[in-house]
Amino acid sequence: MFKTSTPQPQAFITYTGMIWLLAAQLIVMLPFTTSLPPWLIVVVVFAAGWRLRVLAGKMTQPSTLIKASLLLVGIAAVFMSGLRLPSLEAMSALLLLGFAFKAIEAVKRRDALVVIFTGYFLVALNFLYSQSIFAGVYGTLSLIVLTGALVGVQQTIEEFTPSQQVRFNFWVAGQILLQCLPLMVLIFIFAPRFQAFWTLPMPMEQTTRGISDRMAPGDIEKLSQSDDLAFRVSFKSERPAQSKLYWQGLVLNYFDGHEWRQFANEQAIEELQWTIKKDYGYEPLNLKTQGPSYEYEAIYEQSGQPWLFTLSPTTEVQGDVLRAADYRVMAKQPLQSPLLIRAVSRPDSIRDLTLSPKLQDLALQLPKQGDKRSRELAQRLYAEAGDERAYIQTVMNHFREQNFFYTLHPPLLGEKDTIDGFLFDSQRGFCSHYAGSFVFLMRAVGIPARVVIGYQGGEWNEQGKYLAVHQFDAHAWAEVWLPGQGWLRFDPTSMVAPERTEQNLEAALKKEGSFLEKSVFSSRKFAWLNSIRQQLDSMQYGWQRWVLSYDSDSQTALLTKLLGELSFTKIALVIMALFGSLILVWMVWLGLTRKTHPEALEDRLYRRFTERLGKQGCERRLDQTPNDYAQMAIQALPQQAEQILAFTQTYQNLVYSCEDKQRSSLLRELRRLLGQIR
Amino acid sequence: MFEAIQAQFEQMVKQRLPSARTTTLDQRKIFIVPSKTAMALLVMIIVLFLLGINFQNSLVYAVCFWLLAMLVVNVLHTWRNLSGLSITAIHIQPCFAGEKAVLELELACDPKQQKFAIDLTWPHEDRTQVNLVSTQTTRLKLSHSTQTRGRFTPPRIHISTHYPTGLAVAWSYVSVDISGLVYPAPAPKNQSQEHRHTTAANQQQSGKELSGGSNDFGGIRSYQAGDTPKHIHWGQYAKTGKLHTKVFVDYASPDLWLDWNTLNQPGIEARLSQLCRQVLDAHQAQQKYGLKLPGVTIAPAKGEAHQVRCLQALALFGGEHV
Repeated sequence: MFKTSTPQPQAFITYTGMIWLLAAQLIVMLPFTTSLPPWLIVVVVFAAGWRLRVLAGKMTQPSTLIKASLLLVGIAAVFMSGLRLPSLEAMSALLLLGFAFKAIEAVKRRDALVVIFTGYFLVALNFLYSQSIFAGVYGTLSLIVLTGALVGVQQTIEEFTPSQQVRFNFWVAGQILLQCLPLMVLIFIFAPRFQAFWTLPMPMEQTTRGISDRMAPGDIEKLSQSDDLAFRVSFKSERPAQSKLYWQGLVLNYFDGHEWRQFANEQAIEELQWTIKKDYGYEPLNLKTQGPSYEYEAIYEQSGQPWLFTLSPTTEVQGDVLRAADYRVMAKQPLQSPLLIRAVSRPDSIRDLTLSPKLQDLALQLPKQGDKRSRELAQRLYAEAGDERAYIQTVMNHFREQNFFYTLHPPLLGEKDTIDGFLFDSQRGFCSHYAGSFVFLMRAVGIPARVVIGYQGGEWNEQGKYLAVHQFDAHAWAEVWLPGQGWLRFDPTSMVAPERTEQNLEAALKKEGSFLEKSVFSSRKFAWLNSIRQQLDSMQYGWQRWVLSYDSDSQTALLTKLLGELSFTKIALVIMALFGSLILVWMVWLGLTRKTHPEALEDRLYRRFTERLGKQGCERRLDQTPNDYAQMAIQALPQQAEQILAFTQTYQNLVYSCEDKQRSSLLRELRRLLGQIR
Repeated sequence: MFEAIQAQFEQMVKQRLPSARTTTLDQRKIFIVPSKTAMALLVMIIVLFLLGINFQNSLVYAVCFWLLAMLVVNVLHTWRNLSGLSITAIHIQPCFAGEKAVLELELACDPKQQKFAIDLTWPHEDRTQVNLVSTQTTRLKLSHSTQTRGRFTPPRIHISTHYPTGLAVAWSYVSVDISGLVYPAPAPKNQSQEHRHTTAANQQQSGKELSGGSNDFGGIRSYQAGDTPKHIHWGQYAKTGKLHTKVFVDYASPDLWLDWNTLNQPGIEARLSQLCRQVLDAHQAQQKYGLKLPGVTIAPAKGEAHQVRCLQALALFGGEHV
């Protein structure tokens, strides 16, 4: 029964269709230039130029041999351009290459469809590289142009001028996509979300941002020059005080005299995961919960690293994460796209009343040699203090009372005896210096201690009611284990620069004036820009929270919030009801509910006129114009010639050359004239 | 199985789409299915869905669902493009068997609407595409080949559109309640030439009475039934009381009788073709001619209308009467 469809009459792409296609191609490929070999865009421009010259009749269509060799050269170039294989980049590059070359040989409508559908795919592919609002808007624009091209290659309306045609295609494509929007949102909300079936190579070159898994003097200072976002948090419960916001990232146990690392041996992520699972796993029994609990939702920016930052210790974490014995939370894979987790933290809980020997060994490690003066200082102060608690206080006071200075520009300390160099010579340092030397002094007298790195504080966005934590909030502090109290947090930096934790880095560096000194034009430096920046940031956050992080958990949460307890029947009914009303909306929008083709009054009168004359033996043939019919009627019924002529003329006036204000009087006249015909 | 479905579909088409002079397409008359292009897009949508799952990427999902929604919404657009369109059969130009019969149609739509890229097709015969953009009505011609003389009833017209994106095809069938005449195919010219001679001979033998002219007075003979009252010699009747008829002759072009019985060719169709050729030739030569078929006689005359009358008689010979 479908056999009746015959081949399309215009199966070839027209010139305007081709231009549409090339424009769509260019727009689709543009964003890829930042992440893929730049010569690809040259290939595209070349291919487009060639095609246009062919269409203009100035060149001939390339032969199969030329096309094949061009394609081979292109593939070879992709392989030689240093992209990893197999990787998403290599795949995208090959796809783009084919996409570009297709333009040369696109002759038939079929080819155009291949190009457009590949274009749709590439628009989606680009979202693996960027998911910002801007990328979203650009993607939407690309979809409109691609759909416009789809409309453009399907038919050419001869009545339109080229510019009208362009406007028309845009209008149709825009209208369709706009009408699709509610259905798209509906599917987006209701479509089931699955876990990834298999792991594909992740996009992007391996750039990492934010805190790394090691800390050498100077590392965190560099980070503090950046006002990039690290993560955002919104609290479901009350928000802890600013000075209590210690976002623990990872714990550094091993010190080699210069640099702090997690373990003695360097471990790749897979290895680290294995270590954590095997003998460093989170043990809920070691945690004695107490104090206030904070519930929050955090979205981490893509950092290329697996570290997540939470208020330690967390009692509950939702999301695809790993938890370790040091109460850290980390992602199972490096973050290549924003990640959302929900967590509950109780910062006042007691962590590890008893310390396992394994952890104790890690927390007491020191290099065999070096930093002699510091070790001596530790012994002396410990002897003076008498017990551990007092000793810790003495060391903290030492930082405050001695002439220590908090600076973004500490002097270089060399490779050896860095602790000595800081404590006795320079006495100028950033948080990593204070945390590192504090832990060193603890371990030197046998108190288990460790360095924690993460972020401290954050910027409260009043509009969006969330906390934005930036790279310049990066911080390092210490944890000390005491019998009966477990791990306790100490922040020696706060002894030197209390503003750092009570307010923020900017306040702490006010005297030095070194806050974000390298970014002269930072919007933070101008108050009025600051509020716009916060507004934009709030928008980005909403986008991330509601669109990008929408997963099966958010889905359940949202649907439960909207519909109450969920059941299959309920969801099915809601979907049907929504879809039904959507169809109704579309019908009204498209004017499909209107009764089609009501006969105009003048046409009805004219029909009655022909019926009356027909009864007198003068029937109108359908191919007769009103004039022809009038002539025939006058010959047949000469006694009514005058009336027939008058009626016909009035009717024609009404149909062809009538202004709106004359209309009603002409209609009245027409009715009167009809009355005269018997 | 398939045939049964097809038969059922045919039945449905007949019920929903009765033959009429004017057909306005509404939802009962329009059928709509996704096209092959839509299937290809659907495959791509599935690939995108897998991509979205694997990279847990909301915007990839969004593109995927947007395209899926487009498949749905597009159906309404395609449907609207056909809905409310009315098709009126205007007339069919008569033709000779073997030539194309041309059907003239008028397409009209609501003044608030525009229609784009509407295909009208007689499968394997003719197709044409029209838009209703700046006007609400447009006329177009669709041609169909003919094989045999007689009345040509056009088959139903397949009217379809894949506007705007080609992702769906809406179609309907329109049976137009109109018919056209197909004259017999004229026999080839040279062949008819010889027969012309035989007819000419006939004409000589049968004399001038047969060629009832109207121009010149040729004499008087006694009245015969069937003579036109105009030609009765009333003066003679007054004198003698007997009816006499004035006989006129056309000397310039003696009347020609194209007679079925004088043809010695076998077969009805071959004879009709012969006669058709003769009618055409006589008309071209501006000769006065009459036509004699078994059961039909058309008196000699000249002119366009006469030719049409003769050709009609030939076309419908053996069937209905004019």
